[in-house]
Amino acid sequence: MGNACDAADLSQDTFLRLLASSQRIADLQEPRAYLLTVGKRLVSNFYQRRSLEQAYLSALASLPEECAPSPEQRWLLLETLQALDELLDGLPRAVRRAFLWSQLEGLTYQQIAERLSVSERTIKRYMAQAYEHCLLVDL
Amino acid sequence: MNSPAADVRQAVRAAAQWLALLESGGATDQDRANLQRWRDSCRSHEHAWQKAQALRQRFADLPPALAMSSLDRPDPARRVVLKRALGAVALVPAAWLISRQLPLDVWRADLHTATGERKQVPLADGSVLQLNTASAVDVDLPSHRVKLVEGEMSLKVPGASPLMIQTRFGQVTVSQGEACVRQGSRGCRVSVFSGAVQLQPLQGAALTLRAGQQVDLQAAGAAAIQAFDVLQPGWREGVLMASNQPLGEFLRELDSYRPGVLRWAPELEALRVTGSFRLDDTDRILALLAASLPLEVQMRTRYWVTLTPRKKVA
Repeated sequence: MGNACDAADLSQDTFLRLLASSQRIADLQEPRAYLLTVGKRLVSNFYQRRSLEQAYLSALASLPEECAPSPEQRWLLLETLQALDELLDGLPRAVRRAFLWSQLEGLTYQQIAERLSVSERTIKRYMAQAYEHCLLVDL
Repeated sequence: MNSPAADVRQAVRAAAQWLALLESGGATDQDRANLQRWRDSCRSHEHAWQKAQALRQRFADLPPALAMSSLDRPDPARRVVLKRALGAVALVPAAWLISRQLPLDVWRADLHTATGERKQVPLADGSVLQLNTASAVDVDLPSHRVKLVEGEMSLKVPGASPLMIQTRFGQVTVSQGEACVRQGSRGCRVSVFSGAVQLQPLQGAALTLRAGQQVDLQAAGAAAIQAFDVLQPGWREGVLMASNQPLGEFLRELDSYRPGVLRWAPELEALRVTGSFRLDDTDRILALLAASLPLEVQMRTRYWVTLTPRKKVA
């Protein structure tokens, strides 16, 4: 993990996750394997969150001063971005981008198709796939 | 994880497809009527439709540029690579960006410009100060001093009452003349456009620079005086000029006018650029480079741009 604090935080998260999960601990067939699986998932989330945070901080730093959000807004925004990042996780790269371009930059399907050099039909399929993916994760 | 019931999944899939059809701009009136009928036909349909609208709203509420740079960062899914990179490499650019963009002195300065910004400020004594990108100065007119905290400035002093520019590498005194001072981490370049300017390096004797002359002040003292063309337009006119300049050098200069990250493949370094480019639209400069040189511009977001050699068409 590189540092003991992160490792301790993560193992605590693992147990919290376990306590919060619907499965009863006594019912676990393979408690060790279960812990390992939950732990692994958290580790990969951890790296994903950290990479998001890095990208976010870089982007913040490059904003002109007058456009930069206040410290409270920054944290709220980071939390929102982390939630959306998890929502998008697992989508193929091109689908994810097409979706972000449409949602954030307001590009039309035709413009996205040109950028990605694919047909508009493909973009329509990408977008349906992305909506479905996000909605299912959120259920 | 419990998997959602089949009918809920079905409703979600249908809602996603309806939305994509609407957004594609290809929906007919008939399609819209069908959508309405579909929503009305079942509560789970309407529910899925509302969830989809709420999802769109979550994205719509975000500041686009920040969200784009964060969510469309390079390879969010490459955990293995990330694990390796996060130890050192990924942390460096962020720290570098922050130190590059937010040095503390800048905020304490009286006047400053953001990356990509240029500013002209008339001073109370009739002098005119211009600031280039990412620059900061402290102006103290009563004591006739301007401290160049960082970046690049030009100062035009029409009157006989001198103003002294203080830099980390020496002092530059301007009266009835115009000079431009560019301060970097290792030195400071002083160029005189009109009149004569007095220089006092950190070490060595004072010297006088005349119109059309420039000199680099360093910690060890002044380097040799060189001539330059005062009529060639520069950043003060909002122009970036290049004459058979190595592309690497040109891009480093251009980079200082752009927020975010500009990277290029090392093979591009030695290509040559000639032209004069308007600084108010640096995206356009990149597009012009792509049009005239064998390179491609990959723009993930405005804040993350990579130049690569153009692939040969087979």
